[in-house]
Amino acid sequence: MSSDFYRSSILPYAAIVIKICRAYTNTQEDFEDYYQEVCLQIWKSRDNFRQQSEWSTWVYRLSLNVCLTLLKKKKNNYQHFASDALPEEVVEDSHAFSDEALNHLYDAIRQLSEVDRGVILLYLEEKTYQEIAEIIGTNPNNIGVRIKRIKERLKKRLDGKVN
Amino acid sequence: MEKSIEVIWKEGFLKNEILVGPKVTNLYNQKSIHFIDKYKRMFKINLNAIAIGSVVVLAASFFSGIPIMGVGLFLVSAGVFVVNKRLAKGLDRIDENVNSYQYLKSFRSWLDDQISVNKKMAMIYYPLIFLSTIMGFWFSSKNGQQLNETVMNELMVKYPDLYVVFGMPLIGLLAMVFILAVLALFGGKIYHWDLNIVYGRVIRKLDELISDMEDLRA
Repeated sequence: MSSDFYRSSILPYAAIVIKICRAYTNTQEDFEDYYQEVCLQIWKSRDNFRQQSEWSTWVYRLSLNVCLTLLKKKKNNYQHFASDALPEEVVEDSHAFSDEALNHLYDAIRQLSEVDRGVILLYLEEKTYQEIAEIIGTNPNNIGVRIKRIKERLKKRLDGKVN
Repeated sequence: MEKSIEVIWKEGFLKNEILVGPKVTNLYNQKSIHFIDKYKRMFKINLNAIAIGSVVVLAASFFSGIPIMGVGLFLVSAGVFVVNKRLAKGLDRIDENVNSYQYLKSFRSWLDDQISVNKKMAMIYYPLIFLSTIMGFWFSSKNGQQLNETVMNELMVKYPDLYVVFGMPLIGLLAMVFILAVLALFGGKIYHWDLNIVYGRVIRKLDELISDMEDLRA
């Protein structure tokens, strides 16, 4: 990967990759692996970018896909089962950000199912239902209801610390 | 006042204004280790399978009345096992303290040596496997009667002018020598097919990994 490509096409969007990778990993070590794998896949797939969407949307999609694939691989290695199952690992990486409330929110997000994590991340990143549906590959009509349910679950997990 | 998750998200990331990702320098570390561990496991399983298989074939050949074949296959397998067991020691000598790229390159170089040795051996052991199988059946006995005697008796009745050398029809002997020569000549190629079936995917992945890393270093 040329450093030019990294500087121009990945670094400005690193925040997106970081936010997503943090939601799918529980340790700093895993986070670094996922982050690097996402960067590599962005670089390897750069020719597949058709400019039908914005580069940032494409980065979201690719980051989510890579994280889901890596998570699935990891689960297979440990003989876990359903792809949409709730994670069972202990959350170790609760201090990734300097903001305590954000760390709590991330801990709660990590306890959601894999797909729900993607949906809520995109929602919090202010993507439209249509965009979320496109990135996740679902029906936009269901997104609103799903987000409502996820938010309720998150509120419960945050133990009434949010409204 | 309690905050909504949207506010936590926004404010949280405002405080973390600059999100800095890890440097993409140590890439593939984990991958390289997993990869080589996987190869080591496969290699070990295959060697054990060869060892166990040769003993089973040896025992079975005595029970089936084809001990020559069993002994031949056992000796060939033992040779392959011993040589590869020695080669495997080279795997442990690969320095793990170097970076991923050098680690994978050292592994690839070890793999090339291993393939080259086995390729040369294949030019000997494929003909030997064939020879011991043919000899095994030729000198096998059933109900106290040897197969070669039965076959030769029938052939002599049908073709009384058959030219016989070392108790075998010359035409059969020539065909056998031809096949042995072909196996010796193409042993290396056959080994490559064999290698491709067992390790092809792993080796392709290794080359892909090295090529990716070379691009990354460019």
